[in-house]
Order: sequence, then structure tokens, then C-alpha cells
Amino acid sequence: MVPLSWYLALSAVLFTIGVTGVIVKRNAISMFMCIELMLNAVNLTLVAFSRFMNDVT
Amino acid sequence: MLTIAFIFFGALAIGCAISLVAQRNPLYCAISLIGVFISLACIYVTLAAPFIAAVQVVVYAGAIMVLVVFVIMLLNVEAEERRPIKRGSLIAIGVILSTVLLAEAGFVIYYVGASPNELAASGNLSNVGLTGSIGIGLFTTYLLPFEITSVLLLMAIVGSMTLARRTLAPSEVKRQADNVDSLESTVNRSATLRSVPAKPTS
Repeated sequence: MVPLSWYLALSAVLFTIGVTGVIVKRNAISMFMCIELMLNAVNLTLVAFSRFMNDVT
Repeated sequence: MLTIAFIFFGALAIGCAISLVAQRNPLYCAISLIGVFISLACIYVTLAAPFIAAVQVVVYAGAIMVLVVFVIMLLNVEAEERRPIKRGSLIAIGVILSTVLLAEAGFVIYYVGASPNELAASGNLSNVGLTGSIGIGLFTTYLLPFEITSVLLLMAIVGSMTLARRTLAPSEVKRQADNVDSLESTVNRSATLRSVPAKPTS
């Protein structure tokens, strides 16, 4: 079983990359895609916590 | 087995994310983002959440990315040109800040892992990610937030329509300008007519 902290680490790395992209990019559409990346990192955190706490909400 | 899958798809996600930031052509960025989405969907499968994984593939990698590619094609976004960096100090500040951020995240994760009451996934298969449990939660307990979200999306649609209508096409603008001109001339004519002293009626 993969520990929870691994998922959190992956999520943190993805979020950091997304923040970097938002700062670096100049196109609005590219910045939007980096924001999507950040949203997905948060989604991963939520799903991992709901799995490890056995609670949907 | 799960560990191998997690490492593989996690590395794939991180690699695609780095490619997303590093690419200059927006279309390549979009394709890298699709890679991130699909590898995240596979990670959701390892988290025993098949419904979330399916929604991730269908909505994110399908609908939203098609929308983004449409926008890229329609707006004719060019690749951003390579421009010289003006301030070297900004790079140093960025590196320091990102190091601090990653160190902070690592610190938190280390203490989550080291704390004695770490949450451990129970061995029995949970019903967390299944469609039924999500539907029950969404349509009974959390019905009001769900409906509020739908109203929010409707507001976003109406707002985008309003913003899109405000910028008119050039022909439209010209026609409106003509209308305004004719209106103004009419107003002026009527004003001059009115300014003519009326004949005194005896």
C-alpha cells in the first residue's frame, strides 16, 4: 500500500510546477492550463484523503 | 504492484507537467496537459476511485482539453518568442522562493509520515470512489451546494455571453456609428428647427 505522504508529495510537486507555470507563462491560455494543473493537484489531495479516511465527503 | 503503478504514473505526471511549463507552443502545452490528466486518472484508479478516474478522463482530458484546443486554434495563438531575461535577481528570488516552498511541503509531509496516528488505508475495499456512494452524497446530503454550483456555472455562462457581445465586429461597429451619426444629425436638425423663432401668431 502506498503511504499517504507519497500522494501528498506528488500533489505538492504538481502544484509547485503549476505555480511556476502561472508565473512564467505569458499567454492567457497557457496560464489557464497551468491553473488547471494546480486544480488537479488539489483534486489528487482530496481523493487521497478521502481514500485514507474512508469517507466520501 | 500498487507502488510500481504509483511511481510510474507519478513520474509520468511530473514529467508531463514539466513539459507543460517548458514548452513554448501552446498546442504542445495542451498535449502535455492531457498526459498529466490521464496519468492522474490512473493514480485515481490505484486509489480505488474508479468513478473519479472516469470523470477525469471524460471531462478533463475529453471536454475541457477539446475546448482549450478549440480556443488555441480559433485565436491563432502563436508560440511565445524567446525574449531575454532582464533581471537576473528575479531568477534568484524565484529559485529561493520555490526552494522554501518545496522545503515547507517536505517538512509537512515528513511530519505527517512520522506522526504516530498516521491514517492508514483499511485493507477492506472502501466504497469511497464508487458511483453509488458519490451520487448518494451529492444528491442527498450535499444537494444545496450542488445546486448552488450549478447556479454559479449559469452565472459564468451569462457573464461570458455579456462580455462576448460587448466587443462587436468591425462592420457592426460601423453600422452602429452610422446610426449614431444619423441620430445626431436628426437631433441637430430638430434643434435648429426649434431654434428658429416661431412666427408669432397673431
